[in-house]
This record gives sequence, C-alpha cells and structure tokens, in this order.
Amino acid sequence: MTKIEVFDPAMCCSTGVCGPDVDQKFVDFAANVDWGTGQGIKIQRYNLGQQPMEFANNSTVKSFLERSGADALPLILVEGEIALAGRYPTRDELARLAGVTPAPAVSAPKQSSGCCGSAKSNTPSNTTSSSCC
Amino acid sequence: MMLFLQNTPPFLFFTGKGGVGKTSLSCATAIHLAKQGKKVLLVSTDPASNIGQVFSQTIGNTITDIATVSGLSALEIDPQQAAQQYRDRIVGPVRGVLPESVVRGIEEGLSGACTTEIAAFDEFTELLTDESLMGKYEHIIFDTAPTGHTIRLLQLPSAWSGFIDENPEGASCLGPLSGLEKQRDRYTQAVSVLSDPNRTRLVLVSRAQQSTLDEVVRTHKELADIGFSQQHLVINGVLPEKEASHDVLAAALYQREQKAIANLPEVLQSLPLDQLPLKAQNLVGVEALSGLFSDGEEGTTNSLDNSTPSMPLPHLSTLVDDIATTGHGLIMTMGKGGVGKTTMAAAIAVALAKQGHSVHLTTSDPAAHLSETLAGSMDNLEVSRIDPHQETTRYRQHILDTKGKNLDEQGRLMLEEDLRSPCTEEIAVFQAFSRIIRESSQKFVVMDTAPTGHTLLLLDATGAYHREVTRHTQENVHVVTPMMRLQDPAQTKVIVVTLAETTPVLEAANLQADLRRAGIEPWAWVINNSLTVSTTSSPLLKQRAAFELAQIEAVKTNYAQRFALVPMQVDEPVGIQALLNLGQQKTVTAAESEESPSQQDVVTHQHKAS
Repeated sequence: MTKIEVFDPAMCCSTGVCGPDVDQKFVDFAANVDWGTGQGIKIQRYNLGQQPMEFANNSTVKSFLERSGADALPLILVEGEIALAGRYPTRDELARLAGVTPAPAVSAPKQSSGCCGSAKSNTPSNTTSSSCC
Repeated sequence: MMLFLQNTPPFLFFTGKGGVGKTSLSCATAIHLAKQGKKVLLVSTDPASNIGQVFSQTIGNTITDIATVSGLSALEIDPQQAAQQYRDRIVGPVRGVLPESVVRGIEEGLSGACTTEIAAFDEFTELLTDESLMGKYEHIIFDTAPTGHTIRLLQLPSAWSGFIDENPEGASCLGPLSGLEKQRDRYTQAVSVLSDPNRTRLVLVSRAQQSTLDEVVRTHKELADIGFSQQHLVINGVLPEKEASHDVLAAALYQREQKAIANLPEVLQSLPLDQLPLKAQNLVGVEALSGLFSDGEEGTTNSLDNSTPSMPLPHLSTLVDDIATTGHGLIMTMGKGGVGKTTMAAAIAVALAKQGHSVHLTTSDPAAHLSETLAGSMDNLEVSRIDPHQETTRYRQHILDTKGKNLDEQGRLMLEEDLRSPCTEEIAVFQAFSRIIRESSQKFVVMDTAPTGHTLLLLDATGAYHREVTRHTQENVHVVTPMMRLQDPAQTKVIVVTLAETTPVLEAANLQADLRRAGIEPWAWVINNSLTVSTTSSPLLKQRAAFELAQIEAVKTNYAQRFALVPMQVDEPVGIQALLNLGQQKTVTAAESEESPSQQDVVTHQHKAS
C-alpha cells in the first residue's frame, strides 16, 4: 500500500479558534483523510507545532523547510518523495496519489457553507494557504 | 474563628483575581495551621509570588522549611518558568536543527495563556498525587487554583495526543499534550482529589466590589460545575466603619463596600462567608500575618509614613494633551479586569472631545452604564458598544455550525471546549472592534480593550487578521497591514491601566512583555484608584497610600515610558462631568479645600524605553 505522509503547519487552535476565519481547507482535508482511510489508504499526518522532531528527522522535509520556510507547508510526501506542497490535495488527487480509483462524485462529503465552495472539485483550485474569496 | 479555617481538609485552594489578597490569606492560613501543631506545606503558583518576602527568606522551586514557623514548609512554582520548560521539552530537540524562523513559530504557538495554565497545572498535579507528600504533611495550601477551562480540557480524551493522531482536526489550543502523555493517569487522579469535598476546599477571595464579586460568581459556577463542590467565600480588605467618619472619600468607600456586601449575588449567598477588615500595615512578616484573623484593633501603626512623595505624580490630563497633538489615531486601554480600563478609555475620549476633536469611543463594558450615560450627550463624541458575550456567542455558533458540522462526538466536544478558551472571547471582540479601527486615520478612536501580543502574533502569522480588517476596508489605496498600524506609535497608542498594588503591577508588566513580543510598545501607563493623589484624612487610608509609593516608583522606573495617576473617586465616575473631572487638571476629592500635594503641573516623566 502506498504510504502518504502529510506535514502540516503548526496548528495551535487549528480548530479555527485562534483566527477570525474558520479555515475551510483544514476541514475539507480532514474529511478527505477520513474518506481515504476508509478506502484503505495509509495517511500519516505530522503537525509542526506538536511533532517538530518528525520534520527534523526527515531530510526531505528539513531541506524543504530550510528553502521555503514554514509558510510553504503543508508538504505531502508519497513514498518519501515530494508530491505536493503549499496546499492540500483534493479528494481526487488523494486518490491518484494513493493509486486507488476515486469515488464517483455522487455526493459531496458535506454541504460546505464556506465561501470557498465544497471540497469536491474536479479542477483543483490553486489556492494558497490563506485566500478565501 | 473564621469559617474557612474550621475542619480544614488536607488540600486548600485560594482563588481570586490579582490584588485581592490571596497570598496574605494563604500565608496566614498556613501559619495558623502550623501553630496548631500541624505539618503544613504552602505552595505558591502566583507569578508575582512574594511568600519569600513574607517570611524573609529565599524559597524558590524546591520545598524549603520556613525558619520562623516550625512545622511550615513552602514552595514557589513560577508558571512562566514551568511553561518555558514545557516549551523546551517540545522545541528543544529541534532547536538548531530546523530553521530559526520555524522554531520561533512553533514557540509562539506554545506561548499563550493556555500553555502557561497547563504547565502550572502539571506542577499542581504532581503535588496533589504524591503519596509521600501526604505522608509528610497534613495540609497542603495553594495560593491559586486551576481554571475550569484547563480541567475540562484535560478531562477530554480527545485532548490527548493519541486521539489527535487519529483526529488531526481535533488539535486544540493547548497545542501538544503529547509532552504530558505520561502524566495522563495523574491528571485523572488529581481531578478526583479536587472534586472530593473531604479532601479539598476552595476559598474564593474577593474584595467588597460589585465587579469583583461578579467575577467570583463566574469562577464559583465554573468550578462547581466540574465538581469543586466545597467552596467558601472570603471578602477581604473591608473598610472598617470607624474610618467612614474621617472624610467624604472614606465615607463613600465605606458605603460602596457595604452596599456590595448587602447585595451579594444570589449564588454566593449560600456559601459560608467570612469578612476580613482592611489592615493598616502591609501584611509582611509572621507577626503581621498572625494578626490577620484576629479582630484585634491594632489601631494604626505609629510609623505613619506621611512624607510627600519626592517624585512628580503626573495627572491624566498630561497624557490627554499629549495624545491630542496628533489630531487622530487609535487609543487602546488594556489591563486586567477591574482596574478601570473602560473608565479610563471614556475619560480620555470625553477629554479629547471636549477639546474639539472628533472622537469615536467604542466599549465592551458589560455594564454598559458608561456608554449609555454618554451616548448622544456630547458634541464630537460618538459612542458605540460591543457586547463581548453576544459577539463571543455569535462567533462560537458560527464556528460550530461550519467547522463543527462534520466532526464526530469527540471532536465536537473538543471544539466546544476550545471555544471556551480565554482567547476566543478576545478574538471575537477584537474582530468586532477591528471594523472600527480604520476610522482612526480620520479621527480619534478610543477602545477599552486590546488584543494580547500572543493573539496578534498568531493572527498575523495566519494572515487572518489582515484579511479580517481589509475585508472591512473599502479604499483600495496601498494597504498598511493592521499589524503595522498597531506597531506604529504615530498611529496607535496602547495605554496600560493598573492599580498601585504589587500583583496588579506585575500583571500589567506581563501584559506589556507580551505586547512587546508582537513589536508593540505601550505608550503610557495609568495607575487608577490611587489614594496617594487623593485627599483623605482617614489614618487607615493614609497608611495604604504610603504603601502605594513603592509600586508607583516601580512603574515609573521599571516599566513605563510615561505614566499618570488617577485618584480614587468619591463617586463612581459615570457621566460626562465625572469623566471630565478625571481627565482635567483639578482636585476631585469633594469639598476639601486644602491642596492635595504634588498635583501641580508636571512634565511627564520619560525615560528611554529598553
């Protein structure tokens, strides 16, 4: 089974409590991870604020941080290699990275009330970490 | 005999806001029990701990026998230091390995009030669950108590890293509890000790002030809800009746306090109540503390230090005149609850409006009586009010509806608890205020609140605060980030409000240090309710005034770029005239015709900011 590792930015109050905005991207990705796990995809997440050693001990992640800084997170590794940086994969992308067949897009994982629309999107919106509308 | 000293269980916690006298009470209680032949351990987690000073010996973070009281030992836990050690556990291993900027970001995430609380509680639990200590001591006395928020968080399984690994969306304000995973069982045990009335008693300490008592109600409910069931109330520092005959100020203070006691909030009425009179001397030394619980009229001490202070004591009007020269800008008053932030903000706003400036005063005053008496009553003055409770509720609901919608039961509980953290209200309120901030480029905007440095840094890091404010900005000129605006002394002045008492001054100094981390240098300090600049002939109040000098000196030399004093008022400063009196150069103390010392025009003292 493909191993996917996600290196998250430090998320103190990642619940959105510490920011005036509820960050939809975390919500969406959490839902997608749930879905992926249900599909048997192995997804391991590390939070910079909680497990900094995991970042330091991985030479790929460490040099990424040195080059681009923490603002460039998240970083997604597949089999130890960089697959995506600066944003979270959509559900379809996650499926492709893991080499599983994406679920037919029948029902959205949830009705998103966020202004960013729902996570289910065939054209990955190339949002950087902060923009919302 | 005080009720809270009867049938004392092994653990005794004192809780109350800074300056109510928790340390004096806990020291006096420790001495009282030790004199009965008990073995007692006194634990201070007050960042402003001065129990070493009380017993004139160095104590520090190891259990130390008190030389002057047989059977008594003491221990000081510095919560800031505990928090630093906690941070080091997480960040230490990657320091020098990951880039400096990354390490700094992680550290900031662990620099909030929550982390300090958790770290201090971690130290608590060690003492609460150490069997060998219980064998050694019959009583362990704490001069602070953990907050309900902290305990509730720790009771949630989702707060622990094992859960977080599987539910990354559940990471909380606490940051990692992973550094504490080993202590998990100990927490459970500690919480059960706290909620056992046979083992633990909580003493709520208050002053006879309405606002302070209202705060006590909140603490009482919160801690009762989590099972801290055996609670006592002590009202400390009550002005004795005989002092009321001396002058108008003393009489007014006496009336105000008696009224607050007579109208005790209903939930507190069922608690065993003790009252302690205001004492003339500072409660330092075993002798003084031993007398705390005796009704002995020790009279006023003869060593009445009635010398006029040698330093200039600037009036609030000097600050107002200084502010007025810029013609517009943002003024934020900040300080702990009950020091008079709202009153100071209103006094400054009214004084500026009086000088003909256009002023928008925006207040989060829960009582609202201040804004109500001002609204529409003065030219150039616009008053708006933000209800913190309403804003916080709305904000919480919004997050629960959006974010919480897809969480499972555990995740949702976690989110709800996160939303009860101290920073939530701050964010919600500041968000509401931020809509008004942009007006400060044309007029004066005066607010009675300011975010903490920690919050600003987090908001700034996410860019969320920037977005929040620019969303309310129509002008598409080059954007100055809100953070830059707050950091620029030409645009923003933060005024720290405090009282001339040990703990409030230290608390204010901590607020200032926190703002400095975010690159914001408070512009001035205001010392409110000062007896030094009041005119009183009450021997007791004069004596208290003499004790203020050391604190005023500390503010002037150690902390403030510039400062001003506001005298203790005879009447609550409500309404235009009373507020103008605060901000204008005149003696306010009633019909006294004698000049109060040192209220001449003085140049505001300045020294180089460190």
